[in-house]
Amino acid sequence: MRLLGGLLLLIPVVTGLLGPLVAGSTASTAAPSMPPGDGHPLGTDQLGRDVLAVVLDGGTTVLWMTAGALVFAYAAGFPLGLFTATQRFRRLGGTVLRLLDVVLAFPGLLVLMVLAAAGRRDPATLVLVAGMLQLPAVTRIVRAAALAPNHRAVVEALHLQGLPWWRIHIGYIGRSALGPILTDMGTRVGILLTLLASANFLGLGLPADSPDWAVLIERNNQALLTQPFAVFVPAVLLALLCIGANLSVDRALGRLR
Amino acid sequence: MWRYAAVRTGVAFGQTALVLVAAFGMTALLPGDAAASIAGESATRGQVAALRSRLGLDQPLPQRFWEWLTRLCHGDLGDSVITGVPVGSELGDRFAGSAILAAATIAVLLPLALATGVSCGLHEHTRLDRTLNTITVGLHAVPEFVLGLLLIAVFSVAAGWLPATAAGMSGPALLGHPAVLVLPVTVLLGRQLCELARQLRVGVAANARGPVARHLRLLGVGEGTVLARHVLPAAMPPVLQQFARTVEGLLCGTVIVESLFAMHGLGTGFVEAVRNRDIPSVQGYVLVFAGTIVVLNLLGDLLAYRFSPRGERGFA
Repeated sequence: MRLLGGLLLLIPVVTGLLGPLVAGSTASTAAPSMPPGDGHPLGTDQLGRDVLAVVLDGGTTVLWMTAGALVFAYAAGFPLGLFTATQRFRRLGGTVLRLLDVVLAFPGLLVLMVLAAAGRRDPATLVLVAGMLQLPAVTRIVRAAALAPNHRAVVEALHLQGLPWWRIHIGYIGRSALGPILTDMGTRVGILLTLLASANFLGLGLPADSPDWAVLIERNNQALLTQPFAVFVPAVLLALLCIGANLSVDRALGRLR
Repeated sequence: MWRYAAVRTGVAFGQTALVLVAAFGMTALLPGDAAASIAGESATRGQVAALRSRLGLDQPLPQRFWEWLTRLCHGDLGDSVITGVPVGSELGDRFAGSAILAAATIAVLLPLALATGVSCGLHEHTRLDRTLNTITVGLHAVPEFVLGLLLIAVFSVAAGWLPATAAGMSGPALLGHPAVLVLPVTVLLGRQLCELARQLRVGVAANARGPVARHLRLLGVGEGTVLARHVLPAAMPPVLQQFARTVEGLLCGTVIVESLFAMHGLGTGFVEAVRNRDIPSVQGYVLVFAGTIVVLNLLGDLLAYRFSPRGERGFA
């Protein structure tokens, strides 16, 4: 039970990271949507590609997109949160928070859909927007975590020593707020995984011939009856990835409390 | 209470104003041209231009915003530029579909969340608590389309017990075919159960251990009464906030489930409207989504305020 999350996570992550190294050719050479048979242990997909090779190849995209969105959300949200927590810019910080709350009011997928309709349909935009959608929550968490150390005597002493703003805030306050921030990063991985996979399923990010698991599921959905493996295998891997990530974070949080 | 309600409602009006601007702002975001999209690819430039002026697309943005607002005040959302049907009636139709799905989910969700949350909260850190927690977190984690497809594969394709699609059924028709609702409701339940049960668990656990409950037990009040009359109401404020978020998710965040099961609801309607560059419809949908969120948050805050102990009422 204790290691369940980690074990579940291991399978898709190893597949995603090492899969491309051992995957065979993903050229479309065979007939489309064939059940398992000669040379294709899991059959072929709707483009006539070997399902095993495509699945081994397709785990990387979801991993790097999630990582990218998380890095972007924090690269923007961390300084913004520290800024809104500073005593000196209190008024301005409040306004920033109110504005960010408006972003929070729109369901993430709907925003992605409008952008896709506006012709912005590429993985980089998807990652940026998914990260941006996390900005209100990240800013609030960082702000809340930084408010308490902000009022300590240490900070006053550092001010009196004449240290520059960024040294105090990033060096001291940022460091002492690290606990809640790491916790939030964990939960956000789960949120981003679901959001990005759903967006790819709706065709809002990666191209239709990408080996990405979510794209595979969507494309082969029609042939569920004749070639279930092309849907089943990526679906189970994606489910394992999401469940494993969430359970591991949940367990780690339980230990922290 | 009334003072808080008045201020909070004022905030909601402010948010509504922002929503109106945002809903109209979507027009500027969609560079598309409804005119080009209606006229088709074979249309000449002149035809498109004529269509643009007929639709009023050639006027400056502020003027269009003003005209849209005045019509909105008369309850007129305009007509769909694709089908010509009034946006209002299309929205009502779609809303009925989504509302039926949401109501069916809530009818199952509430007792289930109550049972899970209370039993976990009363038996904190036991094997039961850990097992239920693992299951709900796991269900919550699986993306809806993955869970939905796996369920379809098992229960519709392999076993043949349940229909895999609600294609061609509008809102009220769903009521005549409850079997259609089983799989979509299950997927939505998996998504929503975790957070609601978790809030209940934390609240029940904290209050069941608290001094009030201990005192009542010493007075000889039965365990059932302590739970129902004191522990649960005290645990309510965060649960109500979370419930507002749940209803919001069920009305505005069901795009995936609706498109997976081909249901006639707000989510699929929005997808179609965006794809067709049907700007009046897109504006209508954004208004409904954002308006629902504003209203539900208002209700959630007011109820949470009503349930919180007098001493802890902040002005947030």
